[in-house]
Amino acid sequence: MKLEAASPSRSPERDGAQDALTRDDRALLLRYMLLQRLSEERGLTLYKQGKVPGSFYDGCGQEAVCVGAAFPLGPRDRMCILHRDLGAHFVRGVTPDRYLANYMGREGGVTGGRDGNMHFGDRELGCVGMVSMLPDMAQVASGMALAFKMRREPRVAMTFFGEGSTANGQWHEAMNFAGIHRLPVVFVLENNKFAYSTPTELEFAVDPVGRAKGYGFPGVSVDGNDVEAVFEVARIAADRARDGAGPTLIECHTMRMHGHGAHDDMSYVPDELLEEWSHRDPIELYSRQLIDEHGFDSDEVEGIRASVEAYVDGCAEEALASPMPDPSIASEGVFAERWETLGDGQAPWSRWSPSANGNGRRPHLEHGRAA
Amino acid sequence: MPELTYLQAISDGLREEMRRDEAVFCLGEDIGAFGGAFKVTDGFIEEFGADRVLDTPLAENMIIGASIGSAIEGMKPVAEMQFADFISCGFDQLVNVAGKLHYRQGVSVPMVVRLPSGGGFSGGPFHSQNPEAWFLQAPGLKVVAPATADDAKGLLTSAIRDPNPVCFLEHKGLYRHVKGEVPEGEHIVPLGEARIAREGDELSVIAYGSSVPLALEAAEQLDEDIEVLDLRTLNPLDSDAILTSARKTGKVLIAHEATRACGVGAEVASLISEEAFESLDAPVRRLTAPDVPIPFSPPLEQAVLPQLDDVKEAMRELLAY
Amino acid sequence: MSSSPTDHQAASSASRPGAAVIEIVMPQMGVSVAEGTIVEWTKRPGDWVERDETVCLVTTDKIDVEIPSPAAGRLANVLAEAGEDVAVGTPLAELDSAARPGEAHPEEHAERPAPATATEDDGTDRSGFHSPVVQRMAEQHGIDLSTVEGTGMGGRIRKRDLVALIEEDKPLHSESPYRPEPEPATNGVGRDEGVLSGGRREPMSPMRKLIAAHMTESRRTAAHCTTVVEVDLSRVVAARRELRDGMKRRGVPLTYLAFVASAAVGALDRHPILNASIDGEELVYHDDVNLGIAVALEQGLIVPVIRRAQRLSLEGLAGEIGSLAERARDGGLEPDDVAGGTFTITNPGQFGAVLATPIINQPQVAILDLEAIVKRPVVVGEDGEESIAIRPMTNLCMSWDHRALDGAQAARFLGEVKDRLEGWEER
Repeated sequence: MKLEAASPSRSPERDGAQDALTRDDRALLLRYMLLQRLSEERGLTLYKQGKVPGSFYDGCGQEAVCVGAAFPLGPRDRMCILHRDLGAHFVRGVTPDRYLANYMGREGGVTGGRDGNMHFGDRELGCVGMVSMLPDMAQVASGMALAFKMRREPRVAMTFFGEGSTANGQWHEAMNFAGIHRLPVVFVLENNKFAYSTPTELEFAVDPVGRAKGYGFPGVSVDGNDVEAVFEVARIAADRARDGAGPTLIECHTMRMHGHGAHDDMSYVPDELLEEWSHRDPIELYSRQLIDEHGFDSDEVEGIRASVEAYVDGCAEEALASPMPDPSIASEGVFAERWETLGDGQAPWSRWSPSANGNGRRPHLEHGRAA
Repeated sequence: MPELTYLQAISDGLREEMRRDEAVFCLGEDIGAFGGAFKVTDGFIEEFGADRVLDTPLAENMIIGASIGSAIEGMKPVAEMQFADFISCGFDQLVNVAGKLHYRQGVSVPMVVRLPSGGGFSGGPFHSQNPEAWFLQAPGLKVVAPATADDAKGLLTSAIRDPNPVCFLEHKGLYRHVKGEVPEGEHIVPLGEARIAREGDELSVIAYGSSVPLALEAAEQLDEDIEVLDLRTLNPLDSDAILTSARKTGKVLIAHEATRACGVGAEVASLISEEAFESLDAPVRRLTAPDVPIPFSPPLEQAVLPQLDDVKEAMRELLAY
Repeated sequence: MSSSPTDHQAASSASRPGAAVIEIVMPQMGVSVAEGTIVEWTKRPGDWVERDETVCLVTTDKIDVEIPSPAAGRLANVLAEAGEDVAVGTPLAELDSAARPGEAHPEEHAERPAPATATEDDGTDRSGFHSPVVQRMAEQHGIDLSTVEGTGMGGRIRKRDLVALIEEDKPLHSESPYRPEPEPATNGVGRDEGVLSGGRREPMSPMRKLIAAHMTESRRTAAHCTTVVEVDLSRVVAARRELRDGMKRRGVPLTYLAFVASAAVGALDRHPILNASIDGEELVYHDDVNLGIAVALEQGLIVPVIRRAQRLSLEGLAGEIGSLAERARDGGLEPDDVAGGTFTITNPGQFGAVLATPIINQPQVAILDLEAIVKRPVVVGEDGEESIAIRPMTNLCMSWDHRALDGAQAARFLGEVKDRLEGWEER
């Protein structure tokens, strides 16, 4: 499926999604994108206030990719999430206070201070955290998919990587292995036009989505700023994987609206490109779509934003109140005493009803803490 | 008790664990239909099927990465590097992902990487290395190096059951040349425990892997009061056993086939000088290969790898000090 | 090497002046061959040998080989005799390549060179250098080092020199670190003094006391019910006969209990309420099946746990049961081994019992008994085609907690276990 020019209402992937998403689901899609946007804005502020040691990275403008891709997953599925995919962590059940605390190196952060910025994953929620070397996690996700296949479990592993890392040998190894064994893995390629300062034409000679065929499985392109389009393609890919049809490469076309990190002024990006994409903000687009096509009124949409803002405020306070870790733990925990299973992620899509979720969790839609 | 070669003992231990626990499986290049480059997994694919004896593509990072992912999800992969030397192609996954996952995230990665190591048969620079020191420098990896058939089986069992990544160094020279009695059925040798291979009061020789039979032979021929301590596990080191022996004799020779700089010998020597200084009657010496790639032609290779006469000479020197 | 390199060629004996000794070595005759056996020597010491002429015959399990001489000369020594097994690379004989044909036989060289004192004593006086251990021992034992004769290099005082001077007489430690636990006071309620006044008295062991407390507590807490199913074990008996020897060779004892354990673990996956616990007003469903296996010891019952039993094959379970039972009997269990169980299986049937109402192991919600296997006449066949057959029957008795589940669930679970056992196919 190749996407035409960026006109939301004419996107062919749309129609399939209508049947699979309820009204509540749609509100959640918007909520999670807003949660990412507003949490990252708050994080950036904290960084500028000197409260974040090290560097700060965000996925501004790319929220539809990770939220859309993560949304179809069930509680027993697994994810390896990357640094611009904070929304996926939220979909799986991480809360903004733990994310902000992690950036600030606090005890309440997901890793308790052991690793910083987006190098985290909550093992209780079935997420394996990233390493700096990219795309190493594609290999780990293939490994988890191998276990699912060996045990004949209808589960899927999903991993993200940027278009730059497709230049790396490990991408080839992961794609190749997944193709040979038709592993139940979904590879999400976030093509945001730049790998730090390197544009796509210096990373590859041919758009990688076509190369999936060379590994024996389909590659699909989608408008990465259309959250329902991403959802639909990811849903199909996940279902395919669970049914034993093997991997899929989903290339999401999007644009990185901030620098590689907060320390990067993006001067290498042509102004026209930024200008063009600024009109395609995924959150604005979806807000309008909800009103125009799905019977939401503007108060409701505003209400979601306001509720998320208040929630993020509360989370930020909690994060700031979290203490720095005790230095005595610095040398602990190198080795495990025993193996424990990863926990299951939250799965907010209505297909995964409370009884399918082992613990019956569903996120709250009103004010206050989400579960 | 049956007598098995070192290689048969490894097969035996692996087979036992695969029968006992359905989560244990093997992956590596040419291990299935071919039975492995050294035939360690000969017959396995017939017994356990192609699912559990996986012939992988030529891609070491993939082998290690797939091991990590499947181990996180409850399988127990035993990955084989065709030669220990090739671990350099899988180093990133091993050191940066496997070794650090528990520390960063509390995620246990129960996997074993089997590494046929060592030289002595004109394998040349890329088929003769002893890379254990690389792993000792990377936190989060356990490292074992058996010297006997009994330990080969017992340590492999422990390695498979350990919830952490374990590098298992099997010296190729010991495969068919070392034989011994190996208990049938379940046989466990715990990690982190050294073994006194020969008791003595005048000199401690601390060794592992191929250097153990060499040290024992040398001590026999010299017929002196020499103690040989087989480390068996390199991380975690059995510091108690090392220090006890050092304090008893006051003279220590550390022998290993691996190259000199920052090797196990350096680590052990340092430990002894820090903790047992006042028990020392002589400087702690190391007998190792020099810091050169292992050469191919036999006279060159023999000039680089420690030989029996070198061990005897080093022992004599220290005894006489 | 980090020590000086060694010239192998020159290492062998050659005390005859002008001799140039070459070793004849057992060759590598195939990658996996490690040794060979000498069949016979075709040349003896003193014989003249041409280059490439055969000197001996050797056999391995793969191939018979003639060993040629690497050079012309006189065979000086034979180092291994016919019938000996020799490892690859070992010298078999020595050849004097400087000899001329027609010369007199050389003398036999029996001796090997004396081990050289390889250290160079350069004559420096080191009697004043005291190593750390020498100083410490001198301090500890009040030895004046200036009076000690050193036997080390340059007259250095060595540790062994001091050891020889010191008389050792370490006192044995008689103090035992072990302190027995004080016995807790027993507490009798409602005592019939008449019954209690006579007979032989024996204090309850700590284990007995623990069991007493646990059992009464369990009865007090749980709403115990017991459900029984009859199971025809003929398929299991057949399977055990097939598989037992193979497993025995691998050191795994295959018992009927292992079959029941395997069936129960499989059934628990479909009936998770039996693998749960009660916490206040909540039911806690456990992800793993940590299977307790009751082992009868002399002093009482102990229940070691097989963790994550759901991932084990029949052989794996049988092996774990065997090894835990052995450790329990040897007193080798750790506290971790008896903690964390989620479901328990016991086997009073081994002693002949056919029915029992076991007490649940808290905080689990069920416990399963395997009773004795007794050959009974049973009705087999469909309606209208019934007949009597003799089958090995047993009862599976399960006590369960009515607070957590109802009879139907208990019966369904047992039914599933029964079906798995009665339908056992070799896997």
